[in-house]
Amino acid sequence: MNECEHARRLSAYHDGEVTGAEREALESHLAQCPACAAELARLRRLSNLLTQAERAEMPAGVLDRLHRSADDLAAADLRRVAKAFLTAAASILLICGIWLWQANGAAEPAEAIPVWESLAAHQQVLADGSEERLAQWIIQDLERKNGHE
Amino acid sequence: MTEESGQVEPADVMLLERARNGDVSAFHDLVDRHAARLFRTAVSLLGNASDAEDVLQETLAGAFRGLRAFQGLASVKTWLTGILVRQVAMHRRRAGRQEARLIRLQAIEPVPPDVPAATGRVDTRLDVTAAIRSLASDHRDVIVLRELEGLSYDEMAEALGVPRGTVESRLFRARRRLQELLKGYLD
Repeated sequence: MNECEHARRLSAYHDGEVTGAEREALESHLAQCPACAAELARLRRLSNLLTQAERAEMPAGVLDRLHRSADDLAAADLRRVAKAFLTAAASILLICGIWLWQANGAAEPAEAIPVWESLAAHQQVLADGSEERLAQWIIQDLERKNGHE
Repeated sequence: MTEESGQVEPADVMLLERARNGDVSAFHDLVDRHAARLFRTAVSLLGNASDAEDVLQETLAGAFRGLRAFQGLASVKTWLTGILVRQVAMHRRRAGRQEARLIRLQAIEPVPPDVPAATGRVDTRLDVTAAIRSLASDHRDVIVLRELEGLSYDEMAEALGVPRGTVESRLFRARRRLQELLKGYLD
């Protein structure tokens, strides 16, 4: 076992992951340290040996199943989006319905109090005893209503 | 991008962007490009094709769901590898004690030094494969990703979700262990 303090960086050096000044320092060290030089050589032999590991070929059936799964994922996503859209649309319709219902309930303006029903007019009639004026007001009010219809 | 018959194929990032915008055929193209590599990696990490396919299915589902979250900070290859690695970890946790027992059964003794090295290509391949599969999972992951798939330290750190320094130290220890297991081939 290589006990040199630089040994721990040999793995990264072997992978080309040491750069700049540190790389130069390691290369200088390797020229002077037989233990590290031997370990670097073993790392290279190990990498070469590992290339002989089994590498599985993907069977065609696996790829077919993966593509079917991709279609299923897309279809499920469409259903989810459609459901969310319908839920949102239903919510909007419900809110509009409630708003319209409430708006219709308040749509008709409060019918104007006929002049002759107002307290002021009543007091006026009492004051001048003018029933004729009262009759005129009633007629005007009825004419106004007939004009709306 | 690669060229075939004078036509430049879209980059992975472009396919992902199209897939994110609802183009299912673009997602299928990504599957075609990466499935074989991901399957190979999954088999190396898990040790059998059946589990590898299960994990690959989960990886695709995770990738599909994560299309909108992809930020382009890593390559699509590294991004997919990261999803695969996480699915492998989840699979191992589900397997739990069963996985631990299988690994102990598969653990091999170091090749005796008096056995001639390279007794045959088949023997070598089997011994090397068995040695990798006998490693602890975190050592196996870095050996597979570095030695078999050629990922850089930064890519491995991104895929494994660990600091770069952790990648380096795991590789150092994993290689020391493999040198012990395979010394009959190395000395």
